[in-house]
Amino acid sequence: MSGASAEPSEQSSLKDPGMGRLLSWVSTVDHKKVGILYICTALVFLGIGGLEALLLRVQLLFPNNTFLSPDLFNQMFTMHGTTMVFLVGMPVLVGFQNYFVPLMIGARDVAFPRLNAMSYWLLPCGGILLYFSFMTGQAPDAGWFSYAPLSTKPYNLMPAQDYWIVGLICLGIGSVAAAINIFVTVLQCRAPGMSLQRVPLFVWMSLMTAILTILALPALNAALAMLMIDRLLGAAFFEPARGGSAVLWQHYFWVFGHPEVYILILPAFGMISEVIPVFSRKPIYGYAFVAGSSAVIVLLSYGVWAHHMFAVGLGMGADMFFAVGTLLIALPTGLKIFNWTATMWGGSIRLTTSMMFAVAFLLEFVIGGLTGVMFAAVPIDWQLTDTYFVVGHFHYVLIGGTVFGLFSATYYWFPKMTGRLLSERLGKWQLWLWVFGLNATFLSQHVLGVMGMPRRVYTYADNPGWMALNAVAGLGAVAMGAGTVVLLFNVGISLRRGERSGDNPWGGFTLEWATSSPPPPENFDVIPRVESRRPVWDLEHPDSPDAKLEQTPADKGWRPDKSLTSVWAFVASEAVFFLLLLVSYVVFNTEQTGEITSASVLDVTRTGFFSIALLGSSFTLWRAEFSLKAGRVAAFRKWLVLTIALGSIFIGGQAIEYYGLISSDVTIDDNLFTATFFTVTGFHGLHVIVGLIALSILLGLAVKQDRNVLSGTVLKAVGVYWHFVDVVWIAVFCIIYLGFLQ
Amino acid sequence: MIELIADRILWNWWSPVWLVVVVIAIAYGRIFGWKSAARTAWLTTGLAVLVFAFVSPLGVLADGFLFSAHMIQHLLLLLVVPLCLVLSLPMPESGAWPRFSATGGLRQRLSKPAFGWLLGLGAMWFWHVPAFCNAATESYGLGVLRSASFLLAGIVFWWPIYSPSKVSRLPAGNAVVYLFSACLGCTLLGIYITFTTITVCPAFVSPEQRLAMMIALNDAGMTSSVDQQLGGLLMWVPPCSLYILAILSVLCRWYSPENVPSAAVPAQTMVES
Repeated sequence: MSGASAEPSEQSSLKDPGMGRLLSWVSTVDHKKVGILYICTALVFLGIGGLEALLLRVQLLFPNNTFLSPDLFNQMFTMHGTTMVFLVGMPVLVGFQNYFVPLMIGARDVAFPRLNAMSYWLLPCGGILLYFSFMTGQAPDAGWFSYAPLSTKPYNLMPAQDYWIVGLICLGIGSVAAAINIFVTVLQCRAPGMSLQRVPLFVWMSLMTAILTILALPALNAALAMLMIDRLLGAAFFEPARGGSAVLWQHYFWVFGHPEVYILILPAFGMISEVIPVFSRKPIYGYAFVAGSSAVIVLLSYGVWAHHMFAVGLGMGADMFFAVGTLLIALPTGLKIFNWTATMWGGSIRLTTSMMFAVAFLLEFVIGGLTGVMFAAVPIDWQLTDTYFVVGHFHYVLIGGTVFGLFSATYYWFPKMTGRLLSERLGKWQLWLWVFGLNATFLSQHVLGVMGMPRRVYTYADNPGWMALNAVAGLGAVAMGAGTVVLLFNVGISLRRGERSGDNPWGGFTLEWATSSPPPPENFDVIPRVESRRPVWDLEHPDSPDAKLEQTPADKGWRPDKSLTSVWAFVASEAVFFLLLLVSYVVFNTEQTGEITSASVLDVTRTGFFSIALLGSSFTLWRAEFSLKAGRVAAFRKWLVLTIALGSIFIGGQAIEYYGLISSDVTIDDNLFTATFFTVTGFHGLHVIVGLIALSILLGLAVKQDRNVLSGTVLKAVGVYWHFVDVVWIAVFCIIYLGFLQ
Repeated sequence: MIELIADRILWNWWSPVWLVVVVIAIAYGRIFGWKSAARTAWLTTGLAVLVFAFVSPLGVLADGFLFSAHMIQHLLLLLVVPLCLVLSLPMPESGAWPRFSATGGLRQRLSKPAFGWLLGLGAMWFWHVPAFCNAATESYGLGVLRSASFLLAGIVFWWPIYSPSKVSRLPAGNAVVYLFSACLGCTLLGIYITFTTITVCPAFVSPEQRLAMMIALNDAGMTSSVDQQLGGLLMWVPPCSLYILAILSVLCRWYSPENVPSAAVPAQTMVES
């Protein structure tokens, strides 16, 4: 790959021969290089997470083994899970999205290249924070979902859990930023002619994943913020002994956690939806169903989280409804298997390694999906929960689904990224090692689970058959490790000696194949005309273009404004965050007891006065927008100054309130009222301060006659955020100060 | 003192709802005529559900005995009946709806999505504020007002999605956001009713009269807290399922080749967002 960065001026500043190449990677904002950085970082963590898995398997090889101590075993499975989900699965998928979404929609880059680089750099930052915990003498050990109260201070004194929280918040912010970027890119940067009904399915799935990420990650961030406040500031959100609720953590975690499953699987659906048609020489069967049903999955995935909590005791009614919801979500997922099979039906199939991984995906994912449907039946869940059956189930989904989709995509797109083909012979070795390894490890775990072997216990008694099955599982893990080594070796030799691929080695249909391999920094010299879902097919077969066979809704030229779309996506994400904080307030304050209550310590009149200042600032900002639109720059500046002044008055009021409360010894660790009060108003205050900084920057730029600011869209975008912060305050004021819902 | 009522009056055959049904049917026949079998089927379904909601034991139980039955009635009135009624309206000949040309202002307002969304969700939330829920259950007049407001709010809610005139329908993307956010709204209310320790509608917990079968239900574990939990779950899951089905139909419309623009399509539907 040529060391090309996005801006020509940046390139010329990198003359130093020794540092140039490295610096060009570190400072890159090119979506292709950022994508590769994501993928390589994920590979490093795959190595680490895989090693942790192998250590677990060694420990479980014999009954009553002492290879790992119980503590170390807990740390290993916690780190294995956290690493694989947050540092391998999500980043590698985001990496592929980064590289290929702009190419497939005929764009020059993602919508916000600099934000893209920031999102990436938060990944190593979060990863290092997480692994830094080893330096404190102990890694996190409360499991990848860190159930309370195990993760709270009384049960977990070491700082490792704090590193886990901070690392995940870091990764969460990066993921949301990356998702907003992909979301805006798909909506705004499509080539002319590419209506949303014509985008390649991988692009559509990336859009759906972005929506999921934007709306699901803030749930995790809210839970993490509360857990951190528990641990560092002495609140008790999740400590039942002090009135908190451990079940609330489970709710919040799975409100994030279940959509997370689809964040990990939908891009893989997209990948095999690209691979299978190309290697069957047919368009995908039922494009609209595959795309539309994924949209339905996105919506349903928010309504089924409690099926992870059947064993908690939510009540029969709740269990029943969530069981039905879970059965329902299997429909849009399961029916797609038929779409992919029907695509192959009657096609001219070429069994390349990529295609074979896609076929393996279909077979193995069905097994994982079926056991998932089994868990929707509440009694089966009660019987099998927290056994190795669960471990087997979700590894079939995540390896048979996500990982096989990724391998398929790797063999499919490697030529595009490097200009060289991967070795097919080594690819087949890798395939069979993984197919054997997956089934050996996780099929035996299904059996062990039915026999009653509990997960997350460091060893087991010498029960009949358990050792043999665990040995098979260990063998499978070694096979998967060997398969990964084969892949790395394959990549290594193919980069140097691989066969040259040319621009379109597989006869691909979508726009990424219309440019050179690897693509130039600007991606395309000329973007082909897009009149169907397969523009490159149309280009190569002018006599039988797709448009002749099937009409697709044409592009009407609608492209939303970049800054407004991104700020709306951001506001949606923030809204979920505040919603969950407010829910926690309602949960803990429906019936207040004790001396310190909202009625006894809050001065509603005074805060009401400051609230009017904040609401007034929304009005003045609206006037500022209005003046700018009318071209009255001086009036615009005046209104902007007034907005900042009113916002500052509000913050000043909040400071007075906090000072009064703290000096009369009302602090965040007193009871659940003060904990929720300070958390909600504190986060809101932080948002107001961020808004004030943004407005001040705008004012500075306006004084300097900045063209961007005076054009109005930037002000509109900041305005959306500012109005949102005000709307949140109305909800906060009604619920906390006026006592609605109490 | 609680008064026991025998179970033989579980059917309320003399409900005034029949009157409403007859009026609607006659008005429909007069204005639109019975031209299409599909639309007639929608109207019949809508009216049948309306009758069912009041005449069947569901209607009787909803009247101050069982909170979950009240919730089912509420959902039928707010979501199902209006949906059927809107779908039974004929498509206007030329983009706009000629018969309503005199009330252009009303039509424009109806197609404003914020209006429909606020009214649909507002009716849901408003009538579950404990004081109002209680009052409407105990007073006959308020109960009628509540049912009427459900029907009206429901029609206004579905209008931007299934309006017979394509001009007043929301573009696909906006329609999905509209329905999904509505789902979020009833999810929140459902979660609140399901998990709160507050009694949302005290009238159901301490009724003045009691059906004999209520005692049997209570013995079988259907206590008032279980009843409320069930009501909350009903508020939560079925409406969202319905909204998701509606989203599916919007997506079908969006992907259909019908959406391929030609000169005949009115200009306003060309704006996609």
